[in-house]
Amino acid sequence: MSPYESATSAGSSSGSSSAYSSTKPADIDGLLAGAGYKVRSSDLRHVAQRLERLETAMVNSPVELSQLASSDTVHYNPSDIGSWVDSLLSEFNHTPSLPSDLPDLPGIVVGPGISPTVINEADATWMDHDAPQQQQQSAQSLGIPPNQLTVVTAMEEDSGIRLVHLLMTCAESVQRGEFSLAGSLIDDMQSLLRRVNTTCGIGKVAGYFIDALSRRIFTPQASGLFGGSGSASAYENELLYHHFYEACPYLKFAHFTANQAILEAFDGHDCVHVIDFNLMHGLQWPALIQALALRPGGPPLLRLTGIGPPSPDGRDSLREIGLRLAELARSVNVRFAFRGVAAQRLEDVKPWMLQVNSKEAVAVNSILQLHRLLGSDPNRSPPIEIVLGWIRQLNPKIMTVIEHEANHNQPGFMDRFTESLYYYSTMFDSLEACTLQPEKALAEIYIQREICNVVSCEGSARLERHEPLAKWRSRLGQAGFRPLHLGSNAFKQASMLLTLFSAEGYCVEENEGCLTLGWHSRPLISASAWQAVPDANSPLGIVNHHHNNHNAL
Amino acid sequence: MQQMKVEEKEKEKKPKFQMNDHIDILIEVLKRLDGPSLGVAACVCRLWCTLTRSDSLWEHLCFRHVSSPPPSSVRPVVVALGGYKRLYMVCVRPVLSRLRNSHSELVWTRDEVQLSLSLFCVDYYERRLGGGATSASSLMFLCNPVNV
Repeated sequence: MSPYESATSAGSSSGSSSAYSSTKPADIDGLLAGAGYKVRSSDLRHVAQRLERLETAMVNSPVELSQLASSDTVHYNPSDIGSWVDSLLSEFNHTPSLPSDLPDLPGIVVGPGISPTVINEADATWMDHDAPQQQQQSAQSLGIPPNQLTVVTAMEEDSGIRLVHLLMTCAESVQRGEFSLAGSLIDDMQSLLRRVNTTCGIGKVAGYFIDALSRRIFTPQASGLFGGSGSASAYENELLYHHFYEACPYLKFAHFTANQAILEAFDGHDCVHVIDFNLMHGLQWPALIQALALRPGGPPLLRLTGIGPPSPDGRDSLREIGLRLAELARSVNVRFAFRGVAAQRLEDVKPWMLQVNSKEAVAVNSILQLHRLLGSDPNRSPPIEIVLGWIRQLNPKIMTVIEHEANHNQPGFMDRFTESLYYYSTMFDSLEACTLQPEKALAEIYIQREICNVVSCEGSARLERHEPLAKWRSRLGQAGFRPLHLGSNAFKQASMLLTLFSAEGYCVEENEGCLTLGWHSRPLISASAWQAVPDANSPLGIVNHHHNNHNAL
Repeated sequence: MQQMKVEEKEKEKKPKFQMNDHIDILIEVLKRLDGPSLGVAACVCRLWCTLTRSDSLWEHLCFRHVSSPPPSSVRPVVVALGGYKRLYMVCVRPVLSRLRNSHSELVWTRDEVQLSLSLFCVDYYERRLGGGATSASSLMFLCNPVNV
C-alpha cells in the first residue's frame, strides 16, 4: 500500500497499513520498507501531503503526463518517496515546495475554523499558478474559499492518521505496563476525537477503541462487565443480537448457509434432532422448518434442543421461543418437539442433558460459540476439548461451525489490538450502508461489546477469543472431525442473499469447501461443516453419510 | 332515414358486452396483469376488488414465471404463513426486482423461489415474536434502495 493511499484512506475505516508502523520516530517505517520504500515514520504525514498535492497538480495541470517521462528532471532513489515526490512536484510547480512545517503550525490543527492569516501564507504556494479552475469554481459555489477547502480535508485525514498512531502507541505502552504514559495518551486521543467526525469512519471506530483501552487501563475489574458470567442481562444480549441480525447480513448468511448444510445432511432421515448452541430468538429455525416442510417425501419429525443462558427474572425465555417455533411448525404441518437447556456457559452442558436417542440424525449448530471455549485454566482441561469430545461421541451427521474470521486470540496484546482494529474497522465500514434505525445503532453497541471484551478483558473474562478458519481446521481435525464441503447450493444461496442487501461491497468466497462472507475482499465470518471421524474402537461402527445436493423443493 | 333508424334499432338490440357479467373471462384477464396493475384493478369497483383479493390470482402471479410449477405442498405452507398476496408484496416483488435489475428475463429459478419462501417464513415468525421490542423488520432491507 503506497503512502499516498495512507493519506486519503484515513477517511475510510479500513485504515492504512503504513499508519500501524513502529512508533520509534527515528526508524524507517517497517511496513513500507517491506514494499521497497524508505520513509521515516515521522515523515509519513509530510510525504502523504506532498503526494496529495502532486495528485492535485497532475490532475489539473495542462502538462501531459507523457511529457513527464521525457522531462529533464532526473529522479534519484525512488525508494525515498519524499524527495521523489518533490522532484516530480517541481515539474508542475515552479515554486519551491511548501514549507513542510505548515502542518505543525498550531493554528492549522484546530478544525475547520482556520485563521485567515495562515491561509494567506499557504495561499501563494498551495495553489500554484497552474491552479485548477474547476476546483476554485466549485469551491466558490460552496461559498468557501478554495484553499481553505483543501486544507480542511487534509487536516481531517491528518487527525485520523494521528488517532491511529496514538492508538497503537497507547496499546504498546499498555503491553509494556507503562500505564501512566498510556493514561496520558488516552487524554490526548480524547481531545483529538473532538476535532474528528465521530459519526463515521475512523473517528467512530477509534472512539470505541479508546473507550475499551481506557477501561483496560483505569477500571480493569469492571471490565468483567463485558465478559464472564452474570454480565449484562440475557435479555439485553438477545436484543442487541437481534438488531445485529437485522442491520447486516453476517448472521443471516450464517443461518442460511448452516440450514442448507443441515438440510442436505438430513436427507432421507425421518427423525432428526438439531442442537443449537445459542438459541437467542431462534431466528435460524423458521427457514429450516419451512424447508423441511417442503422437502420431497414430506417433513421428518424434528426435535430442536436450544441451549441458552438462564433467565434471571423467572421468565423462561427458552421455553417461550420453543413455543413460538412449535406454533410455526404446527401451521406448516411439521411434527416438532422442543427442549430448552439453560446453561450459563457452554462447557456446563453435559451430553445427557440433550437426550439424544440413537435412532435420530443429529445436527450440532454452533454460531459464534466455540471460540468462547478457548480460554484455558491451568487447573482444568481445556473446555474446548471437553465439548468437542462429547460432540464427537454424539456422532452427529453434521456439525455446522460459524466463526469470526479473525485472529483475536494471540498471546501478545499488541498483536490482538492491531488485528482487532483492522477487523472491526472493516466491519463498521460495512455497517455504514445500513440505514435502518434503531437497528444500526444497537448493532453498533453489539459490536462495541465485542471490542471491549477483546481489548479490555483478560483471563476467564475474555470470551471473544476469535481464531481464523485455518486454526479451526487444525483444531477440529485434531479433535477427530473431518470437513464436509458446503456444496454449490449453499454458495448460490449465499450469493443471492447478498444481492438482496443494500450495499454492494459484501463478497462471498469459497475457501476449500467452506464459505466466507467479507467486506471488500476482507473475509469477516466463516461457515464450515464437519462430521465426526468414526472411531475404530467405538461400537458405533462405520458412519454412513450420504451427501446429497438436493434443493428443498 | 328509415335505414338509419333500423340500424340504430339493431344496434340497440345487440347486447353490450358487460365485462362484469363474465367473471371467468374477467379472471383470465386479471391473471395476466402484473402486480401494480392488479393493485389498480382492485380500485375499479367492488366486484373487481373482491376478485383481486382472491389469493389464487396472486399465486398465479407469484409463480407465473417459474420454470416448472411448484409442488402442491407449497400452497398449504404459503397459506399458513400469510397467503400469496402477502408473499408477493413482501418477498417476491422485491426479490425479483433486486435480482433482476435491468434484465427482462422473466423466468426465475427454484433457488430464488426457495429463498423467497424462506424469507417469507422468517417474516411470519418475526411477526409472531414481536409484540416486544423488535419490529418485524427482517425484510425491511428488501425495501431499501440499492446503494451502488
